Amino acid sequence: MIWLELAIIRRAMIGCALTGFLTGLIGVFVVRMRLTSIGYSMSHGAFAGAALGVAVSANPLSTSILFSAVTALLIGPVADKARLSQDTITSIAFPLNMALAFIFLALSPQIGLSSEVASVLWGSVISISNSDILYLAILCITASILIHFFWKELFTIMFDRRLAEADGINTKPFVYLMIFLIGIVITLSIKLVGGLLVFALLFNTASTTLQFLQDMKKIVLFSPIAGSAMCVSGLVASLAFDLPVGSCIVLVSTIAFAVSILLSPKRKRKEVKESS
Amino acid sequence: MDGRDGKIIRVENVSTTYEGEKRPAIRGVNLALENGELVYLVGPNAAGKTTLLETINGLQPVSKGEVSVLGLDVRGHGSVVRKEIGYVPQDFMVEALEPYTALDVAMMGRYAKMGVLRRPEKEDFKKAMEALGLLGVEELACKPVGKLSGGQQQKVMISRALAKEPKVLLLDEPFSNLDPSSRQEVSALVCRLNEERKMATIVVTHDIRQIPERCRRIVVMNGGRIVADESPEKALAALESCQNIGAEEAVP
Repeated sequence: MIWLELAIIRRAMIGCALTGFLTGLIGVFVVRMRLTSIGYSMSHGAFAGAALGVAVSANPLSTSILFSAVTALLIGPVADKARLSQDTITSIAFPLNMALAFIFLALSPQIGLSSEVASVLWGSVISISNSDILYLAILCITASILIHFFWKELFTIMFDRRLAEADGINTKPFVYLMIFLIGIVITLSIKLVGGLLVFALLFNTASTTLQFLQDMKKIVLFSPIAGSAMCVSGLVASLAFDLPVGSCIVLVSTIAFAVSILLSPKRKRKEVKESS
Repeated sequence: MDGRDGKIIRVENVSTTYEGEKRPAIRGVNLALENGELVYLVGPNAAGKTTLLETINGLQPVSKGEVSVLGLDVRGHGSVVRKEIGYVPQDFMVEALEPYTALDVAMMGRYAKMGVLRRPEKEDFKKAMEALGLLGVEELACKPVGKLSGGQQQKVMISRALAKEPKVLLLDEPFSNLDPSSRQEVSALVCRLNEERKMATIVVTHDIRQIPERCRRIVVMNGGRIVADESPEKALAALESCQNIGAEEAVP
């Protein structure tokens, strides 16, 4: 029995480390490319998809990927074609996805708050399977390779999208690529952190790292490490206090962000400059 | 890539209307620049100067008429054309905590031209450093650009445009944050580079004192139209009359 528990914990640890790596990495682009409202809508799209999977007794991962892809299409190319602003489309997509998620959960054949429904809502350690670990590992490698190859374009877009466009960089494919990556990362993270909280992980880790470093390359290298550390710490807290793992991870990352604001050398320098 | 009749920039009867607006910001504009020509674009506020620059580089879609740069229609070849244009936007300021150095910003001028998947080489860094050197800010290369003064940031942005080694240079109020001596230096540098590199150059300014003596052509805009496209003496008289009209209109 103890071997089984150890195997689950080991899998959860690896899952947390990989999820933290991905959310830390992609989160930098979410924050710097000002895709926060898009990320928020995408996370709730994935949540609605996972809820649909539970309702129709299908694999929540597949339905979550489907919903993420549809939300990404709506927010990206469709919104651009219809000339809708990001604010408008995300304001429509967010409540729509939440409404669908609650309808799907209400239609779920399982009685009460089953473990599957609970894991969709706020994540679960035991729901991480070996195949989830494999998908997360493949995505870590794929995302890192894509970012490496398109670094100079993404770097320029992160500085200012309009200026990048003025330089002759066709920014749309890179922004769409990032929207789709956000969707997949959220989908794969939902089992661990839960649909309601996954977005916080994308935002908190990157924002924390941005407080300490002044070099974009270092930020992109360090943020995944910080993300892994936060997720594993959240898991340890969850096991120690028998609390939902998603909530613990988000609490740890929020505390880390609050501490970073207090200790940020960049902010201190700014305050000194302002007072002098 | 040269335009027909040797015109590098050709703007023909162009109108540009911003989304949601009924009235065009520029109307019936005609303008042509030859290789290596230097033009100062002047006019009162809201004359349409910035809109004209953004229409030339394809950032603002043309509602009517045609714009071609280096012989290519900007509507169909926007990204290709913009790779050959060095553009400095008006009042572009970087926030203090932004994680970019001055060299990072200058290097961005090289990136678009390199093409996707190509990695920057020593030569690219050399060109970016040279561009920073031209503006006298090479010693600030490793400093966070957001921590630089407004004038230094403006010089870094001009370096970014020059690092690209463009065939066309579009500068929108490039001297606005500079102190008087720097204005003269940068203005002289723009003239020198225009001559040496044969770049078709348009400089937008609302301050006619910044127009160098070497400039032989001034375009005056008012109310979204070009009202004069002349030698400095005649153009400045036209500008004066625009400003008088503006002042009279402003009197209740």
